[in-house]
Amino acid sequence: MNLLAVSINHHTAPVELREALYLGIEDIKNLAGEAKGKLFSEGLVLCTCNRTEFYGIPVDKNLSYFDVQNFVIEKKATHKINPEHFQSFMSREAVKHLFRVITGIDSLLIGDNQIFKQVKDSFIVSEEMGFSGFLMKRVFDAATIVGKRSITETEIGEGAVTVSYAAVQLIEKILSTLNKKSALVIGAGETGEIAAKHLQDRGIGTLAITNRTIEKAEKLAQSLKSKIIPFSNFKEHLHEYDIVISATSAPDLILTKDDVKKAMKKRNSASLVLMDIAIPRDIDPETKNLDYVFYHDIDSLNIIVEQNLSKRKSEIPKVEKIIEEELDNFFNWYNSLQAAPTIKNLRDYFETVRAEEVGKNKNKFSSDDQEKLEIVTKRIINKILHHPTIELRKSAESGDNGPESATRLGVLRELFGIDNHKPDEEKK
Amino acid sequence: MIKFIDFLNILLPFFYVITFGIYSYDFMKGKKELANSKRLFLFITLLFHAIYLITRTIYFGHPPITNVFEIFTVLAFAVSFSYFVLELVTDIRGTGPFIIIISILFQIISTIEIEHIVAVKDVLKSNLLGVHVFSALVGYSGITISAVYGFLYLMLYKEIKLNQFGLIFNRLPSLEILEKLSFSSAIIGFVLLTIAIIIGIIWLPQAFPDFSYADPKLIGTSIVWILYGIGILSKLLGKWRGKKVVILSIVGFIIAILSTMLTNFLSLSFHSFY
Repeated sequence: MNLLAVSINHHTAPVELREALYLGIEDIKNLAGEAKGKLFSEGLVLCTCNRTEFYGIPVDKNLSYFDVQNFVIEKKATHKINPEHFQSFMSREAVKHLFRVITGIDSLLIGDNQIFKQVKDSFIVSEEMGFSGFLMKRVFDAATIVGKRSITETEIGEGAVTVSYAAVQLIEKILSTLNKKSALVIGAGETGEIAAKHLQDRGIGTLAITNRTIEKAEKLAQSLKSKIIPFSNFKEHLHEYDIVISATSAPDLILTKDDVKKAMKKRNSASLVLMDIAIPRDIDPETKNLDYVFYHDIDSLNIIVEQNLSKRKSEIPKVEKIIEEELDNFFNWYNSLQAAPTIKNLRDYFETVRAEEVGKNKNKFSSDDQEKLEIVTKRIINKILHHPTIELRKSAESGDNGPESATRLGVLRELFGIDNHKPDEEKK
Repeated sequence: MIKFIDFLNILLPFFYVITFGIYSYDFMKGKKELANSKRLFLFITLLFHAIYLITRTIYFGHPPITNVFEIFTVLAFAVSFSYFVLELVTDIRGTGPFIIIISILFQIISTIEIEHIVAVKDVLKSNLLGVHVFSALVGYSGITISAVYGFLYLMLYKEIKLNQFGLIFNRLPSLEILEKLSFSSAIIGFVLLTIAIIIGIIWLPQAFPDFSYADPKLIGTSIVWILYGIGILSKLLGKWRGKKVVILSIVGFIIAILSTMLTNFLSLSFHSFY
């Protein structure tokens, strides 16, 4: 299979270049449109924060991945891209690379949960553009199987690997039924926003935002449909919340041990979770010495993140095993697209159907007629298969195993369900 | 039938140990594929235990509550059965090994020491005694489970406070759930102990001529009952929570065990049947 893959990713290129190469949906459509016919007969363009990749079946046998690299360099001439920024793959290695990408083991954040959907979305775009043909669809189907197997059979995507998600994981180890709990997010910056979204995804009962600049708080509160507490008097409301996540850029502490002590008194010592994900810290670390106050800062959350990352790393060999298994399956299927085995399988299939039907009905005929029945039905099958066999032999003799021939054979196998319906002797 | 009873008696500790092994392996490894098979194994163990208790009752002509080692096997069954129901109702599966190990201890002692007693005192064949002992045993299994969950609560509380995110952190349910489980089991234990005590106070003085209010078991159970009463009331009134309640539950459990041991092994009272 002459699938080509070219990738610029976090292994090969600095973040500035990856940012510059980031492609929006319209860019992807334009590039795919240009690549179609010129470079590839069918293909896929994948772009995430950390990778921009091109996959495709070349239109010309002589086309190599250098041509694809040149195509990218030409299109993004304003950026200083050179050949060292590329990873290039061919045939089995190209399929393997896609499998590695979809499982997240090639991601910057190992086991990244987003990548599966991102690859899926890229295929949808490719299909919409008419850029995804018979072979690419099979590659995608195989990649989907690999992605799903790695999720269900391994723990590659388990556990929080970002600080804000680790905060939510920790909260869930202290409190249950989050839908009956209330949370206050201090700081409406990016970190605060992510934490607030995670809480909302987990079904938090009441969510409130407070921020020194009220406009920013209002904007975030509007998008999350949450309450706003004025920053000037948020301490007076502290006792109303079971969870406080602080992520401001304040240079000094904004919550002292005394503030928390007062709140705990009003709460009648009901558990209070304080997540300080700001640098420098917003909440006095001494609060952790108060009973039923669960104070955690970036350092303690990083312990969880590191533990989960190392657990995910230990799952990589299992994922690689799945990848190898599915690569074998995929190439077994692909190799079956040779003309000679297809002719044999097609004839075997027809013969099986014929023999089954004759076997079921031959008692309805006299013993003399039974022999004739065999001869007549065999003749019918031979006549039906004569023309397709001639055409397939032509393919076999010309040694043409290009994408068109593979597609033709693949469609034939699919139409007759040959891959699913194997003759008895093969089953044995 | 006696051979069958003996065979089951020897078999039961193995069943509990194997079930404990599966639950512990699942706890250590966190494999999803064992989630249902471990429950099935616990069910099979309980089924064999129930068959053992029933055949024993039929063969000896009285329920196995006439001496401390018979009571231990019933207690082993009651603890694991209560956990099984709890696991089915709450679908919280990570705490099994901590409960099943209690059943193992009770069952091993019972298997080694239990004897074939056919003739028992008439007083021990009373139906009221059956209700008294049954409610006391389920009550004790309630406070046992409450103490185990209380202990797990304290371990998880400590791990979270000290930023130690190990196995306990990864496998146990949340602190709030552990507290709820401990408290609910304590309430069930308290209610049943109350029933056992009421029956005891009404019926025991009539049944036993040597009945005394200074009986160590009676005093021990009363202290346990008062402790749990204080804990439950304080929690319901919102005065106590978390650590305080679970520590009280653990202390109550220890006193209950000590009073049982003192009563039965030192043969100080009418409560000691063996």
